[in-house]
Amino acid sequence: MDVQGITQTSQYLTFKLDKEIYAMDITTVREVLDIIQITKVPQMPDFMRGVINLRGRVVPVVDLRLKFGMEKATFLKEACIVIIEVFLDGEETILGILVDAVQEVISLEPEQIDPPPRIGTRLKTEFIKGMGKKDQEFIIILETTKVFSAEELAIVQTADDMPIPEI
Amino acid sequence: MDESGRFIEEFCLEAEELLSGVEDAVLDIEENPGDQEAVNRLFRAMHTIKGSGAMFGFDAVSEFTHHVETVLDNVRNGTVPVSKTLIDLILMSRDRITAMLAEANGGGPPLDSQEGEEIVASLKALLYSDDTEPPVEKSSKEAPEENFVPVTPAPENEVVYRIRLSPDLDIFSTGMDPVMLLYDLADMGECCVVAQTEKVPDLENLSPESCYFSWDIILPTTKSVNAIRDVFIFVEDDCEIVIETVEEKGIASQEVSAPRLGDILVERGDIERKILDEEFDTHKKIGERLVESGALSKEKLKSALTEQTIVSKMHKSSVASTVRVPSDRLDKLINLVGELVITQARLTQVASTREDTELGESVEEIERLTGELRDSVLNIRMMPIGTIFNKFRRLVRDMSSQLNKEIELVTQGAETELDKTVLERLDDPLVHLIRNSLDHGVEPPEVREQRGKSQKGTIVLSAGHKGTNVVITIQDDGAGLNVEAIRQKAVEGGLISEHAELSDKKIFSQIFAPGFSTVRNVTSVSGRGVGMDVVKRTIDSLRGRIDIDSVPGEWTKVTLILPLTLAIINGLLVRIEDDFFVLPLMSVEECVEIKSKEVEMINGRNILNVRGDMVPYIRLRDRFHMGNRRPEREHVVITDVNNSRIGFVVDHVIGGHQTVIKPLGPAFKDIKNVSGATILGDGTVALILDTSVLLESA
Amino acid sequence: MAKVIMTVDDSTSIRQMVSFTLNQVGYDVVEAVDGRDAVDKLAGTHIDMLLTDLNMPNKNGLELIEWIRSMPKFKFIPIIMLTTESETEMKQKGKAAGATGWIVKPFKPEQLLAVVKKVLR
Repeated sequence: MDVQGITQTSQYLTFKLDKEIYAMDITTVREVLDIIQITKVPQMPDFMRGVINLRGRVVPVVDLRLKFGMEKATFLKEACIVIIEVFLDGEETILGILVDAVQEVISLEPEQIDPPPRIGTRLKTEFIKGMGKKDQEFIIILETTKVFSAEELAIVQTADDMPIPEI
Repeated sequence: MDESGRFIEEFCLEAEELLSGVEDAVLDIEENPGDQEAVNRLFRAMHTIKGSGAMFGFDAVSEFTHHVETVLDNVRNGTVPVSKTLIDLILMSRDRITAMLAEANGGGPPLDSQEGEEIVASLKALLYSDDTEPPVEKSSKEAPEENFVPVTPAPENEVVYRIRLSPDLDIFSTGMDPVMLLYDLADMGECCVVAQTEKVPDLENLSPESCYFSWDIILPTTKSVNAIRDVFIFVEDDCEIVIETVEEKGIASQEVSAPRLGDILVERGDIERKILDEEFDTHKKIGERLVESGALSKEKLKSALTEQTIVSKMHKSSVASTVRVPSDRLDKLINLVGELVITQARLTQVASTREDTELGESVEEIERLTGELRDSVLNIRMMPIGTIFNKFRRLVRDMSSQLNKEIELVTQGAETELDKTVLERLDDPLVHLIRNSLDHGVEPPEVREQRGKSQKGTIVLSAGHKGTNVVITIQDDGAGLNVEAIRQKAVEGGLISEHAELSDKKIFSQIFAPGFSTVRNVTSVSGRGVGMDVVKRTIDSLRGRIDIDSVPGEWTKVTLILPLTLAIINGLLVRIEDDFFVLPLMSVEECVEIKSKEVEMINGRNILNVRGDMVPYIRLRDRFHMGNRRPEREHVVITDVNNSRIGFVVDHVIGGHQTVIKPLGPAFKDIKNVSGATILGDGTVALILDTSVLLESA
Repeated sequence: MAKVIMTVDDSTSIRQMVSFTLNQVGYDVVEAVDGRDAVDKLAGTHIDMLLTDLNMPNKNGLELIEWIRSMPKFKFIPIIMLTTESETEMKQKGKAAGATGWIVKPFKPEQLLAVVKKVLR
């Protein structure tokens, strides 16, 4: 069936999050890293895990499980950080996504992709570009521009109840 | 001096002669009041004594004699009649002048000034003896006209002027040869002169007594425009003179490409833009084509070409010493150098644990080179602050006349350099602060006079280096700050408590508190609060500090302390649990180790006793929700934030750390407590804390 | 050959000071005590510039200037008037008579030299 915006065969990187398979358009993916030390940034929403040092550049890392309301993962051997390009406030920048495991790069033809279901998934509909099908498995193709938009990442700092010291 | 002594002698002799001549003339008039010639003699004698007296330093004599001269002038033209009173007065004056000269030369007794005044009064009375209007008295108090003085203060920059001199046809009959004017201009700089000969008629119609030329002069000079105008002081009425600025070669060499001939011609009004555009369709050189088509005269072309040559030369000389580089390339370079510094530090550390002298030597050399490299690279973006000072001069000039105040801007330290990015962001806050001084600081001239101040107010804008910071101060000698009014406003806004006992300086700093400017003031704080919090925020974002001090009625001073560059931070590296943080060193005063038990809670607040001083503190561990474990020993980093001391409790203080700042990126654009990140030697990311935000956020 | 400047003033001390100052920088100076004296002295002499006081007996400065401008020999030489008046009236009269420029009394030697330099080199 036709999905708006998908008119040609494209390649996607698939990855796992809590037993489900997700995918992102390969053109947004820069690289994949093995998990490394993440420096926590205080007073951030929990899905903002912190920052990492990527060859001298400070890159924020989003825990996709937490972003999608799933449980936080306990230590997973295959956990990776996928570095993707996004546009925030008109500025091109990079972001790291923490995932359970990265699988492979696949090709999907437009015919293999269905429009996103209205109900039944825990994600907002707009996050999903389409549902791909390969080898009997459903693949949730993410619309990265919506998942990682400025609004979604808006840092609402946790209120602090510490008093200001006064002399 | 020998000569002046001679002249003085000569003058005294001359005066003596003249004064005895006065006696004779007076006698003549007594006999024959209608003797006009005698009156003239009298007048001239006084006139000469007055004039020459002033020349040779006999100012008192000159002034006194002036009164006599005035009366005699009026006798000359019949307004004042010859009378006994007049004659007596003249004789008295004559004696008085003689006595004054004797006294001045040291040979006579000191004079009673009252006598002199009485004579002057009587002289004046003569002038007003009629009921008719008092005759014209040329006031001796008239400001003496300044003679042409050849010295004028030179501006800092070389400016290129375009001067068009068109003398009247009959200028020669005034005795002025226009070439003299050209010589004068040539004395002021290396100028190029192009004569315009279009108006020269055919030989049969040519009059050798007329001037048909006009000249275009391109003059690069450091002299002021007034000095140029002075050249033409005698011929203002006999010439058409136009002086325009073509280029200013300032400290900030503008990135302007060499001017195009066509543009120059249009700017001068020699050619219309339309005609210029039409000509552009063919491929010949524009100047030639314009001449060919008759739209432009050969001379005008030559003149414009000369201007183009001079201006391009000026550009080349300044361009030769500069290279344009896109900012992001510089940023990349600075980043790389920063990384190099970090890695080199680690190398040094590793090498120190090895007992290898050869290695040690090489590593030391690398350390030295890296340091030099870092300093050079950081220097690239440095620009003198004078580049923005200039526009403030203009601002002060324009605004002070708008406000009907007399205010002068004095600048110091224009050569002080800081990072271009800091400079650009300083612009707005500085404009704001100067406007404050102009609007609310310096009082109007009348008020100032009442207060015993000079009518002209001064704003001093100064910049200088202090350690690794730049200090900029804006000080005005105006009304100062009203402590009480500010305190009231702060209390109304809930910023301080009614009963708090605060030093004046602390009260002043309330001006910067957020929310201060929005308090609707019952008592007027004359608007100083407005916009100050914006200024503060900008300074904060530059990781700087802002301070304000004042003596009410006398002065107000705003001090800005800024880091030399935004790319690098001088910080204090601290650790909490397994995380590293950096506190800006600028605000750090000291570090104190405490045992957890020593901490006091006074009135429910966290306070520390540091050598008798009560310092409140924030436990960062708690603030950042990093767990409840309390290590046995903790450290407090005591900082000065907005004139208050405050401590930040951490687990360990590791040491000073200078490194390149990494931005967190747009994902964190709204984050508050953290202003950036830095990468440590082992690759760990440390977060840079924003101390003033930490203090403010509740 | 040195340039010749004539100075006309009824005050001896001023004439002396002017002569001295101009001599120092290499000009030759001819002195005259008033207008008539000047006319007499000009009969057989060549001058390159005239410096004259305005208020003098026996043909005052204005008259002298008018006269000298009527002489073809001196029609175009620079003429500077010495004036104690700072009013424009006198200056206008002087310019109308044919003066090139002015210098106001009292003046210092440097000022005299600066003005001379403006009209004579």
